[in-house]
Amino acid sequence: MHNLVRNLVDFLPQQFRVLYRQFLLRIIDLEALSIQADIPRFLGQISGVLIMFSMIHTLIAWAYLGDTEDSPPKLLSFAWHLEHHLIAMMMLVVGLIAVASWDSIFPDRRDTMILGPLPVKPSVVLAAKAAAAAAVIGLAIVTLNVAAGFAWPSVLAMRGRGPSEFLPTLASYWLTMIAASVFVYGSVLTVQGLTALLLPRRLFLLCSAFLQLAAFAVFFGVFFLQPTLTTPAEFANPSYGAFLSWAPSYWFFALFNRLRGALPENLNWLATRAWIGLAAAVAGSVFSLLLCYLRTMRKTIEQPDLLPAARGPRMNLRLGSSIEAAILAFSFRSVTRSRQHRVVFAFYMAIVLAVALSSARSFLAAAAQPLAPGFLVASFVMMSFAVLGLRSVFSLPISLTANWMLRISQLFPSWRYIAATRHALLCLTVLPVWITAALLSLHFRPWPQVAGHLIVLALLGSILADLSLIGFYKVPFTCSYLPGKVNIQFVFWGSLILFLTLGLTGARYELAALHNPVRFAWMVIALGSMAACLRAFNRYRARDAEIYFEEVPAEVITSLRLISLPSSEEAF
Amino acid sequence: MLELRKVSKHFSGIPAVDKVSFSARPGEVTGYLGPNGSGKSTTMKMITGLIGMTSGEILFQGAPIRENLIAYKRHMGYVPEEPYLYNHLSAAEYLTMVAQLRDLPVRQSIDCVDGLLRLLSLYDDRHASISGYSKGMRQKVLIAAALMHNPDLVLLDEPFSGLDVGSSLVLRSLIQELAARGKVVLFSSHELETVERISTRVVILHRGKVVADDSIERLRSMMELPTLEEIFSQLAVEQDTGTTAKQIADLIHA
Repeated sequence: MHNLVRNLVDFLPQQFRVLYRQFLLRIIDLEALSIQADIPRFLGQISGVLIMFSMIHTLIAWAYLGDTEDSPPKLLSFAWHLEHHLIAMMMLVVGLIAVASWDSIFPDRRDTMILGPLPVKPSVVLAAKAAAAAAVIGLAIVTLNVAAGFAWPSVLAMRGRGPSEFLPTLASYWLTMIAASVFVYGSVLTVQGLTALLLPRRLFLLCSAFLQLAAFAVFFGVFFLQPTLTTPAEFANPSYGAFLSWAPSYWFFALFNRLRGALPENLNWLATRAWIGLAAAVAGSVFSLLLCYLRTMRKTIEQPDLLPAARGPRMNLRLGSSIEAAILAFSFRSVTRSRQHRVVFAFYMAIVLAVALSSARSFLAAAAQPLAPGFLVASFVMMSFAVLGLRSVFSLPISLTANWMLRISQLFPSWRYIAATRHALLCLTVLPVWITAALLSLHFRPWPQVAGHLIVLALLGSILADLSLIGFYKVPFTCSYLPGKVNIQFVFWGSLILFLTLGLTGARYELAALHNPVRFAWMVIALGSMAACLRAFNRYRARDAEIYFEEVPAEVITSLRLISLPSSEEAF
Repeated sequence: MLELRKVSKHFSGIPAVDKVSFSARPGEVTGYLGPNGSGKSTTMKMITGLIGMTSGEILFQGAPIRENLIAYKRHMGYVPEEPYLYNHLSAAEYLTMVAQLRDLPVRQSIDCVDGLLRLLSLYDDRHASISGYSKGMRQKVLIAAALMHNPDLVLLDEPFSGLDVGSSLVLRSLIQELAARGKVVLFSSHELETVERISTRVVILHRGKVVADDSIERLRSMMELPTLEEIFSQLAVEQDTGTTAKQIADLIHA
C-alpha cells in the first residue's frame, strides 16, 4: 500500500509536488512562528476541536435513536434541526477556512516574483494551489464528520427502512457535505476573482481587506442569526419564502433529503437551488481563477513598486504617555493592516458583532423595557470575546526581524511597557465594547439599573484585561509564537464552559443585585477589589519582569536510564 | 569615548569575536573593517547591547555600558546592517513611533520627523507603506531613526548599502559633520574607498581578531602600501581572488 501511494505520488510532476508542499504550509504564516514551532501539533489540535464537535453531534444523534416517547412530528422536527445544524456548521467551518486562506489561491506578488523567473507554467502553480486548498477543506470535512458522518446515516437507517437504507443515506450525507463545502469555497473564490478582474489592482487590494472582513461577518451572522425552521409547516409558510430563497444552508438541507428520498414534494425547489448554486459557484470560481492566472499575474508585475499614498490622518490625539501612545498606535495599526492579525481578530469580533446584532434585534425592536438577563449575558460575552481576541492576537508577531528597534530604544523599565500593553488592550477592546453596550442599553429602564450594569461591565473589562495579561511580559506583536504550546482543546472547551457557566450565573446574580442597592454595593465592592488586586498583582510582578521577544519551549529532560547512578549513601 | 576591552563572543563555544580591544574617540570617524564573517556585525550588536558578551568590557564615557544600559541607549544611535523595519507602517508612522519610544517632546519630534523626511527626500512618500520602499529608501528611514534624538555615539553598520550616489555623498558628509561636532562615530563598510576618504582611523578585524588599529596614514607608511584596499587585502583576504573566480566559471561550465 505504501509503495502504491509512493508510486502514485512519484507519478505527479516534481514541480507540482514541490509547490503543493509549499502552498500547503503557507496557510500558517511561517514568519509568525519561531523555529521550534510545532505545526503538525497545532493542526492536530484544530482537527481535535472539529472531531469533538463531531462526537457531540453523534451523541445527539444517538439520543434521537433512543427517544421512543416523542410523537413522529416532534422526532421529525428534531431530525431536521440536527441535519440543518450539521450542514450549517460545515458551511461555517469551510467559510472560515476560505476567509483564513484569503488571497492564498490567487497569484500574489511573492509568487510572481519568485516563480516568474523560473520555468514553471502558471497552470502548475494553479493546480498546486487548488490541490493545497482541496487538502485543507478535505481535512475539515473529514474531521468535522468523522463520527457524525457515520452515526447519523446509521440512525436514520435504523429509524427508517432498515440496514438497506444505510449506504444510500451515507452517500447522500457525504455528497451533501462535500457539495455544501465546494459551494461555500467556490462562492468566496468567485466574489474575490470577479472583484480582482473588475477593479483596478490598487483598488482591489484595498477592497479585498474589507471583503474579507465582510465575509467573516456574513458567515458568523448567518450561522447565529438565521431562523431555525424545523417543521414542514414552517417551510411551507409563505412569510419564510423569501428567506429560504437566499438561505444556502437550507438548500443543501433540502438536497440531502432529496438525495435520500425523504424530501416533501413542495420543497424540491430548494434542492434545485442547491444544484444551481453549486454549479454557479464552481463555474464562477474556475472562470475567475483561470482569468486571474492569465491576467492578474501580469498586472501584479506591471504595478509600480511604490504606490502613492494619500495623506493619512495624523494621530494627534495622544492617549496616555509617549510610550503608551506608541504602543497603542502600533497595536491599532498592526491589527488593522496585517491580514493575518485581522483575520484572527475578526474571528472573535465576528462573535462580538453577532451577539451585538442579536441583542439589537431582540431588544431594540420593542419599546423601553426592564433589563433582561439575556442582555447581561450578551454584554458579558461581548466583553470576554473582545478581550480574549485581542489578547490572542497580541501574541502573534508581525515582523520579528524589526524588533531590534524596540530593544535599542528600550529606555524605560519593563513595567512601563507592560502598563502600556494593558492600556492598548483597554483602549482597543474594553472601551469600544463598553460604548457599544451603553448604546444598546439605551432602550432599557430604569436608568439607575442601566448605569449599575455599565459600572459592573467596566469593572469586568478591567478584570478580564488584567487576567489575560498575567505573565504577558511582551510588547504586542513583537514576540515569536509557539502554536503548539497552548492546548487548544483545553482552552477552547474550558473557555466555552466557563463563559456559559459564569455568564448565566453571573447575569442572574447581577440582575438580582441591581434590584437591591445594598447587594449591588457589595457586588461593586467585590468586583472593584478584585480588579484593584489583579492590577496591583500584575504591577508588582512586572517590576522584576523582563520584556522578552522570543518564545522558548519548556525544556524537557528525559532520562534514558542508560546508567544507574549510585545512591547518596553509596557515593559517600 | 567608546572603548572595547578584550571583548569576546562565543557561539556554541566557537569564538566569533576574540578579545577585541580598540577605542573610538569623539571628533573622530573610526572605520571598522573586515571580510564577511569576521565578526564586525557581532561586535556592533554587542556595542548596542542587542547581544551579550562572553567576556570583556565595553565602556562609554568611562563607564561600563552594562551598568546602566538604559542611560547608555539614550546616547546611542544605530543603523543596522539589514534594513529591517515594520513594513506595515509608513515612514512617518515609524519615525513617530521611534520618537515616542525615545520619549522625545511632541513638538520636537514632529519637526524632526518632517525635517528628516524632507532632507532625505522621503517626504513625498512619507505616508506610503514601508513595504513598497526600495532598499535605499529603507536605509534612509534607518538613518533618520538613528539620528533623530541627537545621539553622542553613532554606530553605522554598512550605512551606504542601497543608497544612490547623491544620498551616499550626503551621508559621507554627514558622518564627517557629526564627528566634527564632537560625536563618536564608528562605522563599518565594505566600500574601502569611502572608508579611506572619511575615516580618521581604521580597525581591521580578521577571524574575530583585531589585525590592525591605527590611522590610515600610519598603516600606509608602516606597510609600505599605497591604498587601504591593498592594506586590507594583505591583512584580511586569504583567498586567491583570481583563482576563485576562474573556479566558479569552470564549475558552471561557462
